[in-house]
Amino acid sequence: MKNRFGFRGFGLPAQPFWAKPVLGRRMFFRHLSSLVGGYFLLPGRPLETVARAAATPRASARNCIFILLGGAPSHVDTFDLKEGAWTPRTFNPTSYGDVRFPQGLMPNLAEQMSDLALVRSIRARAVVHDLMQTWVQIGRNPTSALSKISPHIGSVVSIEKTDPNAPLPAFVALNGTPANGSGYLPPVHAPFQVTAGGALPNTQHRDGQARFDARLALLEEMDSEMRASQPIGPGAAEMASWNARARQMMYNSAIDNIFVLNNDERQRYGNTAFGNACLVARNLLQADLGTRFVQVNLGGWDHHQNIYAANAQLQALCRTFDTGLAALIRDLKQLGLFDQTLIVALGEFGRTVGPLNAAAGRDHFPQQAALFAGGGVRGGRAIGATDELGRLTVSPGWSRDRDIYAEDLEATIYSALGIDWTTIRRDDPLGRGFEYVPFADRDLYGPVHELFS
Amino acid sequence: MEHNRSRRFGWRLAKSGAVLVGTIAVTLGIASELKQTGPADCTFQANPEQFVRPEQAIYREIFRRAQLLQAGRKEAARQTVAAASLPVRNFVDAEIFGRLAREGVPAAPLSSDEEFVRRIYLDLTGRLPSAEAVQNFLRDASPDKRNRLIEELLATPAYVDKWTMWMGEWLKNTAVSTNVNRQPNGRNAFYRYLYAAVERDQSLRDVAYDALAARGNNYDGASAAVNFIVASITPMGPIQDQYDTAFANAASTFLGLGYYDCLLCHNGRGHLEEVSLWGKAVTRLEAMQTAAFFSRQRIAVRSQRAGVCEATESCLGMFYYNSFDVDDRVTGAYGLNTNFGNRPNRTPIGNARELTPEYRGTGTTPRTPYWREEFAELMVKDPMFARNLANRLWKAVFNLGLVEPVDALDPARLDPANPPSGAWDLQATHPELLEELAQYLRDVNFQIKPFIRLLVESSAYQLSSRYDAEWSVALTPLFARHLARRLDAEEIHDAIVQATGVPASYTVTDFPNPVQWAMQLPEPGEPRGNPGNAVTFMSVFFRGNRNNTARRQDGSIQQQLALMNDLFVLNRLRVTASPVLRRIAGIASPEEAVRQLYLEFLSRAPSHAELAAGAAHLAKATSAAQRNAAVEDLAWVCVNKIEFLFSY
Repeated sequence: MKNRFGFRGFGLPAQPFWAKPVLGRRMFFRHLSSLVGGYFLLPGRPLETVARAAATPRASARNCIFILLGGAPSHVDTFDLKEGAWTPRTFNPTSYGDVRFPQGLMPNLAEQMSDLALVRSIRARAVVHDLMQTWVQIGRNPTSALSKISPHIGSVVSIEKTDPNAPLPAFVALNGTPANGSGYLPPVHAPFQVTAGGALPNTQHRDGQARFDARLALLEEMDSEMRASQPIGPGAAEMASWNARARQMMYNSAIDNIFVLNNDERQRYGNTAFGNACLVARNLLQADLGTRFVQVNLGGWDHHQNIYAANAQLQALCRTFDTGLAALIRDLKQLGLFDQTLIVALGEFGRTVGPLNAAAGRDHFPQQAALFAGGGVRGGRAIGATDELGRLTVSPGWSRDRDIYAEDLEATIYSALGIDWTTIRRDDPLGRGFEYVPFADRDLYGPVHELFS
Repeated sequence: MEHNRSRRFGWRLAKSGAVLVGTIAVTLGIASELKQTGPADCTFQANPEQFVRPEQAIYREIFRRAQLLQAGRKEAARQTVAAASLPVRNFVDAEIFGRLAREGVPAAPLSSDEEFVRRIYLDLTGRLPSAEAVQNFLRDASPDKRNRLIEELLATPAYVDKWTMWMGEWLKNTAVSTNVNRQPNGRNAFYRYLYAAVERDQSLRDVAYDALAARGNNYDGASAAVNFIVASITPMGPIQDQYDTAFANAASTFLGLGYYDCLLCHNGRGHLEEVSLWGKAVTRLEAMQTAAFFSRQRIAVRSQRAGVCEATESCLGMFYYNSFDVDDRVTGAYGLNTNFGNRPNRTPIGNARELTPEYRGTGTTPRTPYWREEFAELMVKDPMFARNLANRLWKAVFNLGLVEPVDALDPARLDPANPPSGAWDLQATHPELLEELAQYLRDVNFQIKPFIRLLVESSAYQLSSRYDAEWSVALTPLFARHLARRLDAEEIHDAIVQATGVPASYTVTDFPNPVQWAMQLPEPGEPRGNPGNAVTFMSVFFRGNRNNTARRQDGSIQQQLALMNDLFVLNRLRVTASPVLRRIAGIASPEEAVRQLYLEFLSRAPSHAELAAGAAHLAKATSAAQRNAAVEDLAWVCVNKIEFLFSY
């Protein structure tokens, strides 16, 4: 946005030059209370961010739905199907052009294959759940020095795309807790966590709206002095702003309509927690009240034992996933939102390939696959290919001609949403600069453009 | 500056104008308020207004209200002071105020008694002071009342609860974490150990030693400290991964050297150049050599697979099922022979196929075969031990460490006698102070009580959080004012319970008796379920899980929604449920009722404007039921006031 002098201040409130704070990066380093808390000890973000204008984001999508398949789904049974003696008949492997897909396992998504792109040349750096789940959500190594303060991908999207006047936060998380939250970014970009299925909790006052309004008026009268004089310090101002946003959510039918689901739709989406979350995601994007990045968690894919058990384990989860996601895609298309909503579904790594293990399951494995749809993605194909068992990439399928990593997927999301993934923010407390995608200056990672063209 | 002066003048003009307008409005308003309603008792004592000319009554009322306004403004104007004018009570003040004076930064004034009593209660015991305690403290005229209150609070059971919670957070006591399941039995045993340590003010040197070198079963009280080392279990890798985790945890917790987790994978060079002067020169070999002190530890779980019980039934009947036994071998070393797992391959170096221990920095080797004990002895003598503890304890009451982050200390940048060169500067905001605090901690044998006493008796701690000069982010680490902190989830819970007088009671897994205060819970994972909405209420305040989710002080929309609407709060804001509100509803004078409410909930007297608004709200009630509702409204307002969430 331009200030009154016509200068583009990177989204920061314009300050007259005589009031600009003078802060070196060393002083800033010392100010952080704790890496993830006490943010109000650092009011405002006075330092400039440096946008490296070397990259042109694709900007084909307005929204992103990020589905985390926690536990790590077996890639060779889902998005990178490899058939063998172990494959259950019920999978019904079918060809869709060049793509083999378990139609029996995910029939609804199979029907939508022309909208889906399967990325098969992804490699995880480790096979530890916590570590890799965090890795794919923050788009960098969680054990690196900078990572404790690194925000979730959704929080970066939020700080880039948020509308401060919108009633809903830009980043909403359904049925799970996103790793790292907003990191060092202001808490307003933290994920707004909701368990999908019911109304937002605490948005109604038990003694009625009239009583609530009266109490609120009294509160404003009696707290006005404290809020104006701010004896407590900057923390109080932050709390007051949370209070204002909280009130916007109360007795707000536009917001209620997003979260309160009717029964028919629940059934259509599968009547599961995941289905409800897909429904809420659709409602959020349809209502367009500020939310741009929705994370949905669907966990339970850690099938070390009995992976092919009938009506359980993989098959049950796939049914849930298939019903919910297919309904979501269908509805988004009907609403005209599909082309501007990038959908990403991935786990944290893959599972062992070939015959099952001794417990009739699959164990952790670094090769993995992901599903992309919408937001300009050209569907009906697979990016990259693995060997006959799914052990390693034999054809990367993209311009960098190597395995795809979580950092590349992160760059893909940013590019699709119109965010320059090479941006380095200079407002981080460690004073090292926060890169949206690590090693941005060395171009080690980048978007998978092939998904879109 | 020209610009600022004109701004201030404009303000003054606006304020006088407002007063003028206000006076006129007040006059008109007063005239209608003083209309007679019909005398019941016409004696002078009962109804003096009847015998005074109406205009005089108006004049007197205007004067009274003007006085209120004036008093209100005076109350708000407590200016900042020159740091050199503040009383220096100990070396903490000498350092903090000396620095402020040198930099020409004004300090906040000393906290008022009201500010102090609430803050010290919360910071030492996690509880609000009772209304009675506030009044007693305010009435006390003795010059040493603050120190006496500190002594009194250090001796309370609530102090033990709060600092046991602090120890549990620091040592990450939890029943279930990513890599290890202590079970409620193990967590409870560790909780009781920590409680006993805080209660008798045990030296933290002993606690650290126990945590690292104890042997025995983790369910047993006598060896409960092994619950710390039990967390070094690291699945999906060779045993060396466990030794590395043990050392990384010890280094981060007790030495503030979190970077060892990085250094156990790779050299500092090429990774830590921009974050740690010391770290960038440390090699993975050195890190592994120190980790080798743990290479004789043995942690065995009593499981069915280990053969301790035959079948599920007999296992479940065993008390020690799923417990861990920790002991040590007297032979063995850190093998350089791994090619899988969580860390990069460990390969022989020349002819050396294994590593024997060498303590970090000094290179000291063990003299006995009991390597964990040797590590513990060396570690508590490590200068980083005292610095780390001093820094963390400082942060616990000053709300910002002298070094941040608290687990990323840089040994090469902490000695003021040997400052680093080039682009690096000393890491602590007050390097001499940190060294003095570390020495003091050694002098008091690493006991929490004398150390905390020193901190909270200082004028620096007792500064107000109100800062009337221009504040900027740069002043934060100078401690020119007391830095407010948002209360922890458990403190907010307990504040509402105490202020309303509606008790809580939570069953904790395998605790013999229920607990009544959230501060008595052994970890954020308790209580299980959601009794009285307490768990959903507390979780919006980011309790963390002592595992992979840190506790946070951030605000959020859901927190405000919870304070306004959650049944945990609303069920207590009922005259029928709350003895405190019942008593206040029975107070005849509206002003007195507001005052009592403020004492109970906010531990202070209301300002003139607050008193007027509150009393007016109460005075509108025409029946007992309306009176009760009005009291409930005011209590709701108190809980939702911004200050309620803070220790300031």
